[in-house]
Amino acid sequence: MKNISYLFLAVLFAFASCDKEDETPAQMNVEITFENTLNGNPLELNQENFTLPSGEPFMVKKFKYYISNVVLTDTESATQYIENDSYHLLGQDFNSVIDLGMIPSANYDQITFSIGVDEVANSRTDQTGDLDPNNDMAWNWNSGYKFVVLEGEFTHQSTQERTGLIFHIGTNSNYATVTLPLSGVMAGKASSIALETAIDELFSNPNILAPSNMASTTVMGGPVADQIGQNYAEGFIKAN
Amino acid sequence: MKKQAFTLSVFITLFWACTDLSQQETRVETAPELYVPPISTTLNVGSFPQPERNPMSQEGVLLGKKLFFDPNLSGNGKVSCATCHQPQLAFTDGVALGDHGVTGAKLDRHAPPLFNLAWNTNGLFWDGGAHDLESLNFGPLTHPDEMGADLNALLTYLNQEDEYLDLFEKAFPKSPIQSASISQAIAQYTRTLISQTSRYDLWKNGKTELSSLEIKGYKIYQAACASCHEEGLFTDQEYHNNGLDESYPDPIDKEGIFLGRFRITQDSLDLGAYKTPSLRNVTLTAPYMHDGRFATLEEVLDHYSSGIQQNSSLAPQLKGGIPLNAEEKQALITFLQTLQDDQFIQHHQQDNPDLP
Repeated sequence: MKNISYLFLAVLFAFASCDKEDETPAQMNVEITFENTLNGNPLELNQENFTLPSGEPFMVKKFKYYISNVVLTDTESATQYIENDSYHLLGQDFNSVIDLGMIPSANYDQITFSIGVDEVANSRTDQTGDLDPNNDMAWNWNSGYKFVVLEGEFTHQSTQERTGLIFHIGTNSNYATVTLPLSGVMAGKASSIALETAIDELFSNPNILAPSNMASTTVMGGPVADQIGQNYAEGFIKAN
Repeated sequence: MKKQAFTLSVFITLFWACTDLSQQETRVETAPELYVPPISTTLNVGSFPQPERNPMSQEGVLLGKKLFFDPNLSGNGKVSCATCHQPQLAFTDGVALGDHGVTGAKLDRHAPPLFNLAWNTNGLFWDGGAHDLESLNFGPLTHPDEMGADLNALLTYLNQEDEYLDLFEKAFPKSPIQSASISQAIAQYTRTLISQTSRYDLWKNGKTELSSLEIKGYKIYQAACASCHEEGLFTDQEYHNNGLDESYPDPIDKEGIFLGRFRITQDSLDLGAYKTPSLRNVTLTAPYMHDGRFATLEEVLDHYSSGIQQNSSLAPQLKGGIPLNAEEKQALITFLQTLQDDQFIQHHQQDNPDLP
């Protein structure tokens, strides 16, 4: 029996090597890049030339977010690549690439991922890698992680004062799964999937947030955090 | 079932006997041996729960103890876990709201005592926000008004100390020093803080007598207190609004800290609810309540007798208060004194080399 399968393998191998020209490689290298934007402009930290959707001049000092449970799908052949242990901390002036490495070849035309950390991984913080609490993303009052962190300063519309804005969003109800269509990923070819985040989407769609009118500009949970969570669930990350 | 386990172990032994001896030796050397502390039946607990990902070993406990008492873990090198959790006070700090953190700012909640934590499986902190000890430790460690540690700076410090390098190697041989193992070691140590040798425990085991006043107090405890302070651990591990306040301030910069467990669950029935603290060592852990508002046990009993504030989240069993006369209060306090565990306190002094 063993001999037969060796023989079979040998034949298969010979066949594969004869037919090299047409065969797509079994694996392909795929990475996902993230570019961060605000109102369509590439984000820069500590720069004053940005404006919030509600009109206030805004300077971003920190912007970080977790992307987890990445899945690529080839809808035609129903092939899926599911990344194991898929937790990635990304941010401005921080990681901007998820390197999936060599994955099975397919014409992936859809990507699914989640913003935040799933309930299981979010239930404890003695973890390593991107979930290591030394990344300054673990809560200190509640076991779990901040999913999206935006910190900056805006000019208040009525007082004209520079005012701090802090969004630390992350409870299990703020975990949002996004599916986007992909184009241009071809089986066997190294691919770079370009995604884009839009910070302005945190302030709009469906909930409009104008920091000058907010009771507190420090948001770390509660109803406003949930509104921001609803906002980032759709339109915050798009294919570039 | 037992037979199956035996057969399995025979197979394992046979398998091991076949494997390379030298390999086996390295394994024995590197993997620290699981340690399960002895548990008194008077705790009324089935077993000693510990998370699969962080099994307790003597090596881990030794490391955790050193970390627990080391002020170099803090941002300014002056605050250790033991600053607010002192062994002689059953691991609390004796003040209502501590200001011993790196900034000197007064905290919003009273430092809870630390013992019998392994059975705190229904959330830790006064509001249950922490799921387990391994996660909890990062709270006080990194909170800016508590130890204010920068975890990356902490890793640098630990990697420069030969003694720590050695202890980490023995306790966690498979990985370099990382945030997770720091917390896991401290969790192993704090799980060994087991209070089960008070006069009450000796009495329950038939090794000592209680006075008639103490026994009278015990009966009052059983009738009036045991529904929440369940006998054994002397807590039900649940969260209750015990009628301290009618309403709760919610200043915007405090992120709901005065709302009790509501902050965690957003459930209006949890407004003003906090975890039932154990009555063990209660004579050592004054002042009382999540904010230390009561200086003495007499004040606590007065609250339950006649001070209950009514609102919609009040624990139903406290609607009518717990009316006790002066004599009953005295008997009850006399009984509570039998829950003081001096042997536990002695054993866990920092300089006692016996572990755990």
